[in-house]
Amino acid sequence: MFMTRTEKIFEAAIVACLCLLSLIALVPLLSVLSLSFSSSRMVDLNEVTIWPREFNLDSWNYMLGRADLWKSALITLVSTLIGTTSALLITALLAYPLSKKEFKIGGILMVAVVVTMVFKAPLIPYFLTVKGIGLYNNPLVLIIPHVLSPFNLIIMRTFFRQFPKELEEAAFMEGCGYFRLLFQFVLPLSKAVLATLALFYGVMIWNQFQHPLLFIQNPDWFPLQIKIRQFVTDPNEMLFTESIMNIKYNERTLRAVTVVFAIIPVIIVYPFLQKYFVKGALIGSVKG
Amino acid sequence: MRGAVSIRSKSATVSREKRMNQSLWHNMRLYWPLYIMAIPGVIFLLVFKYIPLAGSVIAFQDFSVFKGVLESPWVGLAHFQKLMDYPDFIRVFTNTLILGFLKLAIVFPVPVVLSLMINEVRNALLKKGIQTALYIPHFLSWVIVAGIAFDMFSLSGLFNVVRGWFGYDPVLAMQESTYFRWIYVFTGIWRDAGWGTVVYMAAISSIDPQLYESAMMDGATKWKQMRYVTLPLLFPTILTLFLLDVGNFMELGFDHVFNLLTPMTYSVGDILDTYVFRTGIQQAQYSFATAVGLFQSVIGFTLILIFNKLSKKFSDGGLW
Repeated sequence: MFMTRTEKIFEAAIVACLCLLSLIALVPLLSVLSLSFSSSRMVDLNEVTIWPREFNLDSWNYMLGRADLWKSALITLVSTLIGTTSALLITALLAYPLSKKEFKIGGILMVAVVVTMVFKAPLIPYFLTVKGIGLYNNPLVLIIPHVLSPFNLIIMRTFFRQFPKELEEAAFMEGCGYFRLLFQFVLPLSKAVLATLALFYGVMIWNQFQHPLLFIQNPDWFPLQIKIRQFVTDPNEMLFTESIMNIKYNERTLRAVTVVFAIIPVIIVYPFLQKYFVKGALIGSVKG
Repeated sequence: MRGAVSIRSKSATVSREKRMNQSLWHNMRLYWPLYIMAIPGVIFLLVFKYIPLAGSVIAFQDFSVFKGVLESPWVGLAHFQKLMDYPDFIRVFTNTLILGFLKLAIVFPVPVVLSLMINEVRNALLKKGIQTALYIPHFLSWVIVAGIAFDMFSLSGLFNVVRGWFGYDPVLAMQESTYFRWIYVFTGIWRDAGWGTVVYMAAISSIDPQLYESAMMDGATKWKQMRYVTLPLLFPTILTLFLLDVGNFMELGFDHVFNLLTPMTYSVGDILDTYVFRTGIQQAQYSFATAVGLFQSVIGFTLILIFNKLSKKFSDGGLW
């Protein structure tokens, strides 16, 4: 394609600008990463920017040796796995009838769902209700309040509605009930939307902060995010009084380790996240 | 005569209701598995959405946990009155409005500009790389983002290192009220602006390439194509998202603000959400905090209704 000189400059300027912005997006991550591998001496001297100085693994060794960090990570992992699975199940179970014309109360239920998206209950009655059903200081609070999101429900319903009717009708003729229809035909053919919603739910549960903050007071059940929050805000939480002279970590390098520790799982699933999230964000923008 | 008519119409409604009920009953008998399937979801909506919504009535009571909703004394609008007289509340409300305004004015346009720029990158690999880098922060929790922010803005953090290059003295930015709002805006852009381009990029990719071809025939430069083809065609999407964002004006993100706040920045950073958390959960002033929350919900609800209507009117989008 023919381009004038000014156009080339124009494009080059845009590319340069975007590269700079991408760098800004990544620099804070690189900086924490390099802090976690640097010695406390270099950190104190302000020598660490985006490259580790006096590379060592002491901070990592110390943090990874802490059972409470692993325990929190395990709690978060387990609640994310169980939570995502049950969320998909319950969302599908409601989305499927809602996608059916013969489901007579579907219209009213849909209105009821949208109402919850517009009129949000204030925090306190919500808190008292959830506490009232026994979820206070109960690890199930990391799961149960997240098993249905109206937004995700609408996405799934929209998807089910686009399903070719002939297939289901044929199965219906064979004497196949709705439950078998859903679990043996519809869901296996909905892998794309299930993957998207699994990631939506998974990221939400993994990153959740407000629910554990409100409901979990018992440190034994702290999920990862609360643990990290503790490390960030309360330095005493981090260091046991060790008076060894040549330790290579300090509060700041350790904090960097916890932050990186929590980012790693996100980076691992990131390729899937990007692919399916983009799809999901687009399904979500086409409303049913 | 009139009596007879009213009796007749009454009996007509009764029989219609009966028919409705009968057919609902019939429908349930015929398609019972669908009803069974819906049970868990419906229970969820009742317990986690509707009961708390109904529980908002404690804003009009002097609620005590021991007496419960039924036994607690009613006080009418007393808590709302108190709220209006409270200097704290006025400050918190102002903070909420200011942050909401900054979010709309500064954070909202960034993804639009980014998408227009990304669209000009023609090297597919480079484009992909840029998008990947810009999306990553969106998947980090606010705890992590705030953790990183606390480090970047600490005395020896990157922010002060860069300040040092220009000869400025280091500042404790996270602990100073002058910086809080800008840190809120900056972290908001850092985490979500890249992700915000997804919808715009999809809208741009659906623009007919012939439009660009004919624009080029007429001698439009890249800049002019962006200005006179892409931007106008993107406008309905921008408007829809803008109106929805205005509707969500009060939703500043509890996690976002709470994790950035320090006691030193309460004066500018304390918003309705964090205020409700402190007075309601930590100090257990249940009724008062519910009144604050209800006040916020009603404003939010009104804004959403108004702006959803507007967005339906001016573009084909809308929440429902």
